[in-house]
Amino acid sequence: MMMAPAPNRDASADAIQLSSEDNVATVLRAVNAGETLSIRTGTTQESLLAREAIPLCHKVSLRSIAPGAAILKYGETIGAATTAIAAGTHVHIHNLQSQRGRR
Amino acid sequence: MAEFLGYHRADGRVGVRNVLLVLSTGGLTGPTARRIASSIAGAAVVSMPYGVGLMGRDQQVTQAAIVGLACHPNVGATLLIGDNPKMTAEIAAVVAARGQSCAALTMDGCGHDAVTLTERGLRAGARLARDISGLRRAPAALSALTVGLECGRSDPSSGLVANPLLGLVSDAIVDAGGRSIIGETMEWLGAEHLLARRARTPKVADDIRAAVIAREQLAIAAGVDLTGSNPSPTNIAAGLSSIEEKSLGNIAKSGTRPIEGLIGYGETPPGPGLWVMDAPAYAPESVTGFVMAGAQLILFTTGVGNSYVSALAPTLKVSANPETCGALGEQLDFDASAAFLGRASLDEQGVQLHRALIDVASGQMTWGEVLKEGDEVVSRFSPAL
Repeated sequence: MMMAPAPNRDASADAIQLSSEDNVATVLRAVNAGETLSIRTGTTQESLLAREAIPLCHKVSLRSIAPGAAILKYGETIGAATTAIAAGTHVHIHNLQSQRGRR
Repeated sequence: MAEFLGYHRADGRVGVRNVLLVLSTGGLTGPTARRIASSIAGAAVVSMPYGVGLMGRDQQVTQAAIVGLACHPNVGATLLIGDNPKMTAEIAAVVAARGQSCAALTMDGCGHDAVTLTERGLRAGARLARDISGLRRAPAALSALTVGLECGRSDPSSGLVANPLLGLVSDAIVDAGGRSIIGETMEWLGAEHLLARRARTPKVADDIRAAVIAREQLAIAAGVDLTGSNPSPTNIAAGLSSIEEKSLGNIAKSGTRPIEGLIGYGETPPGPGLWVMDAPAYAPESVTGFVMAGAQLILFTTGVGNSYVSALAPTLKVSANPETCGALGEQLDFDASAAFLGRASLDEQGVQLHRALIDVASGQMTWGEVLKEGDEVVSRFSPAL
């Protein structure tokens, strides 16, 4: 799913994308399923439909992520997707696996 | 902003506090040391839980901790309480040789009687406390400061806001000629390339990478799944999904300045600038490593809340999580939620935090001090005899 620019730039965004290549954003308030989120990116504000509830500070996928693909935050790899992740999904230990400290 | 009011010590260092330290050098005399300290105004107590039987690195680190804490710049005088007269006298001689005002008493020297030791300790400690209370604060340059940078019970707000704020303050301390230290080697995992890139020399970059690999190998050899250990269950509930994510947030504490070198657990940085300490990640051990190294102040970020503070180095608690800031009014010294919510810039809050640090350096109490939360916990490395 592509993100469309939000019509009104809101000073208090619902989520923040830390680096332009990131495929997840961090929500700045607890989010309910079905809400349209305003995502603050580097220069613009974009909107995204939340498919499920996301607790404060947790991550939401900004686009679909294939199984095994890198999950990027801060412009860096924070793990790999363990399943297909649709845009607007809660991304956490149930669908992201660390790549460190393993044989 | 260029200076603070501190206690100028004979060796040139400057304290931000002027406490009497009642220091139990072994586990047998901890209760007596606590009894003595609780009866003396302004006294801090630290108890080493171990004694004879420590070997090798544990023996060296414990000795370094005893001397480092006894001679810490925030300590005006030290009352050493030990069990064995010979060992205690040797420690007292080292402490005195470094110019620290000190008295020493032992359980054996009091007929193995804790009540007698308490009475003599109370008299000796009271005299030291009264003596040091005459010292006045005087202006000191920020270059005299060593600041330890810690995070505990982190959440994603730590990496977004609170840790970057510490980075801004660390940069300012380094630019002023002071020292700052980050530790928690495990929490460089996944971000070590970013630290190595800032190393002053190629050797420092190699040292950083080697320290991370060694720590990662420890986890692998022990069969520990990092997810559930580090990040901890508390971190995971708060939204951190992997050690990589936690580390990338963690290292924001280090700001942007070059990394001068990798130091061992509790080692004093040999010069000004930013240093990285190869140390365990658990906050009590990590913070005591900084205090042993001479840090007079700790900046400590938390996501969901963490009440732990140093006994000797005032510890400023910082959180950017709006729920935590609302809930922990008598724990958090600095509310960074405005930056999290987009109502203030990081730069604005960085200046405020820098000012708050100078206020604490000059005498304002942290919540941890008001509530007497402090402790010191020295790492162990191997078995004892």
